[in-house]
Amino acid sequence: MSASRHLFAYLRFLGRILWMSTDGSWRFYTWMVVLTAIALVGANAWAQQLAQGMVLTGMSDHVSWGLYVANFTFGVGLAAGAVMMVIPAYLYHDKEMHDVTLVGELLAVAAIVLCLLFIMVDMGHPERAWHLIPGVGRFNWPVSMLTWDVVVLNGYLLLNLHVCGYLLYMRFLRRKPRKRWYLPFVFLSIFWAISIHSVTAFLYSGLGGRPFWNSALLAPRFIASAFITGPAFVIVLLQLIRRFTGLPIGEGPQRTLTSVMRVTVLLNLFMLGSELFTALYTGGAHAGPVRYLFFGAHGHHGLVPWIWTAVVFNVGSALLLHLPASRRHVWVLNLACVLAFVGVWIEKGMGLIIPGFVPSTLHEMVEYTPTLTEWKITAGIWAFGLMLLTVAVKVALPVLSGRYASPHAREAEAAPGSSSQESPGGERQPAA
Amino acid sequence: MDNVLPTRLLCLLVALSWCGCNRDAPRQLQPPPGPPTGVETVLVPEKLTSIESDEKDALGRPLRVPCATCHSLADARPMPSRPEQLQAFHRGLQFRHGELSCTSCHQADAPRSLHLATGQALPMTEVMTLCSQCHGPQARDYKAGAHGGMTGYWDLSRGGRTRNNCVSCHDPHTPKYAGAHPVMAPRPPLPHSEARAHE
Amino acid sequence: MSDTTRRNLLKGAGATLGAAAFAQAMAPLTKWTADLSFDEFLQKHYKEFTREEMAVVLRRLEEKTEREYGRKVSIQDLPPQEGVSFGYALNLSICIGCRKCAEACHQENNHDRRTGNSYIRILEMEQGSLDMERGTAFYDHDVPAPGKYYLPVQCHQCDNAPCVKVCPVQATWKEQDGVVVVDYNWCIGCRYCEAACPYHARRFNWTKPEVPADEINPDQGYLSNRIRPQGVVEKCTFCLHRTRAGRLPACLEACPTGARVFGNLLDPQSPIRWVLENKRVFVLKEELGTLPRFFYFFDK
Repeated sequence: MSASRHLFAYLRFLGRILWMSTDGSWRFYTWMVVLTAIALVGANAWAQQLAQGMVLTGMSDHVSWGLYVANFTFGVGLAAGAVMMVIPAYLYHDKEMHDVTLVGELLAVAAIVLCLLFIMVDMGHPERAWHLIPGVGRFNWPVSMLTWDVVVLNGYLLLNLHVCGYLLYMRFLRRKPRKRWYLPFVFLSIFWAISIHSVTAFLYSGLGGRPFWNSALLAPRFIASAFITGPAFVIVLLQLIRRFTGLPIGEGPQRTLTSVMRVTVLLNLFMLGSELFTALYTGGAHAGPVRYLFFGAHGHHGLVPWIWTAVVFNVGSALLLHLPASRRHVWVLNLACVLAFVGVWIEKGMGLIIPGFVPSTLHEMVEYTPTLTEWKITAGIWAFGLMLLTVAVKVALPVLSGRYASPHAREAEAAPGSSSQESPGGERQPAA
Repeated sequence: MDNVLPTRLLCLLVALSWCGCNRDAPRQLQPPPGPPTGVETVLVPEKLTSIESDEKDALGRPLRVPCATCHSLADARPMPSRPEQLQAFHRGLQFRHGELSCTSCHQADAPRSLHLATGQALPMTEVMTLCSQCHGPQARDYKAGAHGGMTGYWDLSRGGRTRNNCVSCHDPHTPKYAGAHPVMAPRPPLPHSEARAHE
Repeated sequence: MSDTTRRNLLKGAGATLGAAAFAQAMAPLTKWTADLSFDEFLQKHYKEFTREEMAVVLRRLEEKTEREYGRKVSIQDLPPQEGVSFGYALNLSICIGCRKCAEACHQENNHDRRTGNSYIRILEMEQGSLDMERGTAFYDHDVPAPGKYYLPVQCHQCDNAPCVKVCPVQATWKEQDGVVVVDYNWCIGCRYCEAACPYHARRFNWTKPEVPADEINPDQGYLSNRIRPQGVVEKCTFCLHRTRAGRLPACLEACPTGARVFGNLLDPQSPIRWVLENKRVFVLKEELGTLPRFFYFFDK
């Protein structure tokens, strides 16, 4: 079978499943319309920001990164967290987890796209993004950590796109995936997931002028919190999928992910505590941002409510996860997941990016509050990310479960596929 | 065998990053500074040759009266030893300069010129030599270009520079630098208030 | 069949509606794209230009300035001088914190008038302490105030510059004469350099700078004081459009107390060398290893 034939067939497959994704229940349409509306509001806000300048944001020369970079950082964690499904599935051969690993990989794809969008809207000149293309622009690799981040993020995106695409396509053709075409990439993606979040942490921790970030513990903290948010999101997502698609998803993955979270929430709190102790007990320049963050300083208290909310949420989720009730009642588990997700979002976003700038390098206290424009754009990007995830999961699941397969599947494979229900969308596609 | 691909990608990336730098066009630098041909001019402030009067000109600036207007008269009154004793034109002169008296610097019988500690006469315009007698470290720094401020060229092969005189900044009678009210009043750090009002 | 037709019609209507809404949402971009010329979009990196190509770019920028700001200006691109490496020193015993240097910088470098931007930030510090947390830039009383001293901070043109290291696209680099410059037409506006700088030396153009035509300094340099585009980072360049022509920086000329000393570090006769050799000199945040070219000293 020639490669070019496969290429065309693969593209046709992608087209078909995308077309298929436009079919759905009224609930699906409502969900997508709401998300589209939010995304459009965000797009409009971004267009205005581009035309009038970043003056529409709350950022300043003192606090030069804000909500966008905060969400970017969090998004990288979400993407990296998905690997917590890959590891049990591929390293420990957890059969049930293996069945739903794809959901984690699709989440990674959506999260990376989300991250790239957050970087895009944070740029003063997004049209100059081509300056980042190696060979065409002037890619300052390997000196700039940001170029490493570009490499690892796009690499992780490609890795996951390849693994998801290949496995789905093979499933669609009803052929057994060949290990050499995906297993190396899966294992690579495990290390890669760690690297995307370490590199993102190094972006900050490598800056000597910012004592709050300039800590060796930042990367471990990032990884630990990533392994909170990823599993938390997937636990809820799997329940939603089961509810809306009726797909039989076992309790196994949920149990495994909960166990992961039980460890990581504590680890995260422990590392946060270590940072606090070191900063506050030592005092001096390192304590400045911490004091401002937790208690306010020099009459400025902008982040105090944020961080204490995060602390309450994080501690709350840790307690809930360790209560026996979290095993008996799924709502307790879900509450813990939501608390953990929001808690880490604050801690790693507003609670991490902003104190890096307050006090400033000249120890000036200039506070930052996101503007409406920033909230609109942020909401828009999250809505777009959720749309992407919805579509991806929606088209992947029928293929994965074998409900949707190639009409030629039987010729392509010796073993006859039994119950190949053609979706009506699939039939019409070749005409389009 | 499958690990070849990432390695190849890595090599490609390295190659591409480097080839970006090799496109630099050759650059012609400017020639190094030549021998100093420019001149250093030391300012001769008006106050060395004239004094402010109560009268103002059309622009509201105080009219200056040249010293010679009065001091060219043969019978100028003898110089007092303390400024408080001044009764006429120089009345109100503030004096805060250590334990000096008028005649420490001025010649009692030739008010248009100064004298060094040795008694040697010195024209008003040579005042810097006089100052340097006591203010050695400042004179040394000035000579080195590290005191007093200047305008013009750092590179004397391309142009001259003008340097302040001691008395440009320090009134010899009250030499402590006067201070000022700062310009560029501080603004709220966020430059966005007006743009934000649109929201 | 009719059901699927109806469904397709609905989908088509939805898609059309969505596309129209998207176009409407992105409408503010028409102004932005109108300002962006094709040449500008495809412009090469500064270092890749030959002199002839650069000349074309300079003319284009001059025309653009005249079109947008109503002032004829001359934009030059002076290369560094052989045998010249700039250094700057500031006498903290003499500085009175009058902010004249900041004002001169504001005017010389065509800074945005509304924000009162300047590359120099002056902190009023407490005698006996170098702890900047006890200082403030927001003083507005007669200076010098008793018990205070003043610490002007501008770009230190570090030899190991964190801002240069972090730039993902090499839009900022160190020139042979030691000045760290930015190619405003290459900068992507990610502001990583602003986060990396330990001296608060970099500024971002949060909006298009506003300068009245009669206040524009027409003597401009490509890498220094030409009016910056919106959305890029800028910084002090030791006024290279002046200093590479042999002149003194604007902030030095404006200093009423002569606290500033500038010159060629490679010239043993230069004032800056004399200061470095004879005064007790220090640099800010030496422990960060940034190797600044901006030095401070006290007389007493």
